Amino acid sequence: MKCEEAGELVTALVDNQLSALERAAIEAHLKNCSSCELVYRQQLALKSEIRRAVADLKAPVTLRKKILNDRRIRPRQPVVENRPAWRVIFSLRSALAVALLVVLALPVLYVMKTDREPVSVSALEIHQRIVRGEVSVIKAGSAEELKDSLYRSVAGSFAPMTYDLSKIHLKPVAGTVQEVNGRKLLVTIYAGAGATVTCYTFLGMEADAPPTADRFYDTNKKINFYAYSHDGINAVMHREGNLICILASTMPTSELLALARFTT
Amino acid sequence: MLHLDHLYRVAFHLVKEPDQAQDLVQETYTRALSSYEQFATGTHLKAWLAKILHNLFFDHYREAKRWLSVEENKVDEGWDYRENIPRENRGPESDILNKELSNKITDAIKKLPEEFRMPIILVDVGDFSYAEAAEILSCPLGTVRSRLFRGRQLLRERLKDYAEAKSKQRK
Repeated sequence: MKCEEAGELVTALVDNQLSALERAAIEAHLKNCSSCELVYRQQLALKSEIRRAVADLKAPVTLRKKILNDRRIRPRQPVVENRPAWRVIFSLRSALAVALLVVLALPVLYVMKTDREPVSVSALEIHQRIVRGEVSVIKAGSAEELKDSLYRSVAGSFAPMTYDLSKIHLKPVAGTVQEVNGRKLLVTIYAGAGATVTCYTFLGMEADAPPTADRFYDTNKKINFYAYSHDGINAVMHREGNLICILASTMPTSELLALARFTT
Repeated sequence: MLHLDHLYRVAFHLVKEPDQAQDLVQETYTRALSSYEQFATGTHLKAWLAKILHNLFFDHYREAKRWLSVEENKVDEGWDYRENIPRENRGPESDILNKELSNKITDAIKKLPEEFRMPIILVDVGDFSYAEAAEILSCPLGTVRSRLFRGRQLLRERLKDYAEAKSKQRK
């Protein structure tokens, strides 16, 4: 491959938008071409800086209000028709039945919601607190020491999942144990060039994914990956046996998904 | 409100003033809700909204020339602007520098020629896939890829000027 042909493939590699064949070709070229490899690193860094620059940019509250109060998008009033009395009674009965169902179902839904949502969403809040330096962490001399320390902190009941993120210049620098609704989360913190990635391991099931998460099925690994976001933090979750693993970062979801898929 | 922050980020980088970004997003939601029957099942909602936003921008804001003028710049290969920029949040001074860098990045994106600016805004700011960006821009996927490459090179060149000026100030 010539360098002139490599530029666009380098860009697509940064965005994880290549077919397997293209990826193999450009990765082989980068191993032997230092100038294209430099362009790759520069584009990766630039994308990371752009992501960081826009992460805090949110729609103003006034805009939300303006849209909601926009007369043009208010729902149309339903057409009132003259209905016979028996239909009105039937409608009232239906409404009462629905109301009863809601009353009965709400506590169940609430229990399900409080049991399911917080752990996966809390992971993202923990990520923000870690980045802000509000969480006390365990530092270790090596990745193995850190893993061992976290493993011992839950009395050996499960071990943290680890990733090799050296290809994107990230290494495990610290860890912490967090508790959400009585469940222990082992957190490994990866840091390096331009980003912080936190990895959460805990005992759970796929129902721990937020109901609104996007699901991606990896046909090769036969694993479901769940992607979701909260307050500018992106996350990808998957299950291995009885363990749930969540990767969280401000990195784009597509990159996190690629990390989770290709490093598990 | 679904995808509001994403759309606002895209609009913010398209138009000149934040107020215009708000108007553009508001108009986008109005159009979307008045033509929701055109939304095809299976289409990514965020991409559909972004396409409406892009078309509105193209039809109105672009015609009114309410965006910054652009200057062509040559591309200088082999220089890494990160060498002169502090990397981590290490205190108030670093926060100010990071904020300044964020503003510079936003300004630099706004000043890119439109053909390169749109793919960068959609892919890097809006987090759209190449296929979605191609659909929104009504162009081939290969065009998105080549314009992204060229656009990022231009952007890096412009941030280089900023980083060098900062470096001179410190000396």
